[in-house]
Amino acid sequence: MRRGMVIDLEKCIGCRSCVVACKQHNAQPAGNWWNRVFTPGSARHLTPPQKGEEYFLPVHCQHCQNAPCEKVCPVGATYRHTDGTILVDFERCIGCRYCMAACPYGVRQFNWEDPKKAMKKYGYQAGYSYGYPKDYRLDGRLVYTPVRPKGVVEKCNFCVHYLEKGLDPACVRACPGKARHVGDFDDPDSKVSKMIREKNGFTLLPEKGTRPNVYYLPPKRKEV
Amino acid sequence: MSRSKKIGFLVSGLIMLAGLLAWGFQFKEGLVLTNMRNSYTWGLYVSGLAFFVGNAAGGLVLSSLIYLFGVKSLKPFAKLGALTAFANVTAAMFSILPDIGQPIRLYNMILHPQFRSPLVWDVLVLNLYAALSLIYLYILLLPDLKGPLKKIALKVDDPKAFSEKWARRLAPFSLVAAVGIHVITAWIFATQGARGWWNSAVLAPDFVAAAIASGTAVVFVVALLAYGLKEEFKEAYRTMAVIISVAYFVHIFFMYNDFLIHAWYGATEALETLSITFIDYAPAHAFEVLAPLVAVILLLNSKVRSSAGAMISSCLLLIAGIFTHRFLLMPGAFDKIPFTINPLGMQDTDWSLPIASGDYGSLVNTFVTEWHYFPSGVEMIIFSGVVAYACFLMILAVDRLPIVSEAKA
Ligand code: SF4
Ligand code: SF4
Repeated sequence: MRRGMVIDLEKCIGCRSCVVACKQHNAQPAGNWWNRVFTPGSARHLTPPQKGEEYFLPVHCQHCQNAPCEKVCPVGATYRHTDGTILVDFERCIGCRYCMAACPYGVRQFNWEDPKKAMKKYGYQAGYSYGYPKDYRLDGRLVYTPVRPKGVVEKCNFCVHYLEKGLDPACVRACPGKARHVGDFDDPDSKVSKMIREKNGFTLLPEKGTRPNVYYLPPKRKEV
Repeated sequence: MSRSKKIGFLVSGLIMLAGLLAWGFQFKEGLVLTNMRNSYTWGLYVSGLAFFVGNAAGGLVLSSLIYLFGVKSLKPFAKLGALTAFANVTAAMFSILPDIGQPIRLYNMILHPQFRSPLVWDVLVLNLYAALSLIYLYILLLPDLKGPLKKIALKVDDPKAFSEKWARRLAPFSLVAAVGIHVITAWIFATQGARGWWNSAVLAPDFVAAAIASGTAVVFVVALLAYGLKEEFKEAYRTMAVIISVAYFVHIFFMYNDFLIHAWYGATEALETLSITFIDYAPAHAFEVLAPLVAVILLLNSKVRSSAGAMISSCLLLIAGIFTHRFLLMPGAFDKIPFTINPLGMQDTDWSLPIASGDYGSLVNTFVTEWHYFPSGVEMIIFSGVVAYACFLMILAVDRLPIVSEAKA
């Protein structure tokens, strides 16, 4: 079983619901964004590029099969789960940020300060909290915690804390365009494998040799 | 203790203390006190690692030259060399310590070392080098451990012959270790395909070349301060000037060789990376090349070599140039986000994907495609503290141990 995701750019309407769902479900501290939706070609982030050339590109951790972040981590805090997902152990990370220098996709974020202080600085109302409220351990390792220690790295974990409940990642469930799909990439007959095969799935930065477990389907035409 | 040593002690001691306090403050508040952010994850501290590792080269390169290649004129400086090696390699480790977000968890490096990580190799080799330079220093000191120091002396029949024999035996290992620390430190960066600026086969040899230049310059300065300008050392100073010059030119050759290859091919991303160093950081780049060049020209001049002050200034200029070179290791890698794609259906467009800056303020963008870094006050104080530590340790050792032998009458 190799868990992978397919994002159909034809279906993405650019609403950024996945970004918000991800942020909320994973209790991401102020300033951290595991998931982003780009408007490639635009002069400024979140604004449209030239007319007629708009498309949307959601990007989060690509769960690379040849993951530089996993290979550089000196303590194995960033590690690969049996299903191929790359996870971060919040109890083991020493905060060297080598993985952030190593990731070609810029998806890793650091907790530069105590998240509670950051909430205050960003002007959240006192007492406001969000996200899956409990710690989640996988084989004893803390791969999700609603309150991050300061000085550790975090990134998309394919919503590992929902996995055993049989729930898809929050972004998949929240997407109103139904652009996101998860499944087994090892099985050639799985829905996702078929989609990649039949609709010319491609990966980002193939020249980096990371072999991502996230595929994109090209849009047939642009939204105009 | 002489007056100048006392002043040195006091000043370096105070700066060290300030650095320690600043680190305590940063430990409490988090790395938010630095000017690094998500798009620019390594700054002065990691540049400091590369810088101090380079400075540490001098000592053991020197001793291996003496004992492997028979450059006798350098012999009086062997002990100073081993001392600067130890001081700088430990300073290198102290320099990355404040870069760690969770320093208390560093024991994980021992409990769960992950041997694929070049960082683990580096920690191993730096510790090994620190141990080796300490052993070297001890062996070289052995014949002179008299009086109250006799307690710590190894009991051997003929300390002089023993010291000579073991210094010779250890020399090949120290040469390998001295080259090893630069190569492996360079591999931390050079292995990273994500950063075109680092991902080059020439980075490791270039690290060695730059290190031999700055490492020898450090020993040069320390030797001048300890021994001054004496007729009997003229030849040694000349030899060191030649070593520094050759190493500098090799370093410049490696660097421009790499630039030329990328500039000629002209891939958009590579050109953008080069433009950071050549345009955005033009003055710094000019300094990293020209300052050591001026230093080398001066050091090769026998008139300059008849003044201790002129030689010290030249060496410091060279060290400042190499420090700038180490600082410039980061902008090329982090100033612009290297995640560039050609958007579907768009002609001639290379587009950088913005990443979350991790910072918030009325003027800071939540998502950025570039980040200009200059170390914060806290970073500079901590870094100065590490420099002060190296000075403090060297003054202390020179004061307490028979490192500087009395000049022959
Ligand atoms: S996208 Fe980055 S963080 Fe995710 S697996 Fe690949 S290298 Fe690691
Ligand atoms: S920051 Fe944490 S997860 Fe990243 S390489 Fe360092 S220890 Fe590993």
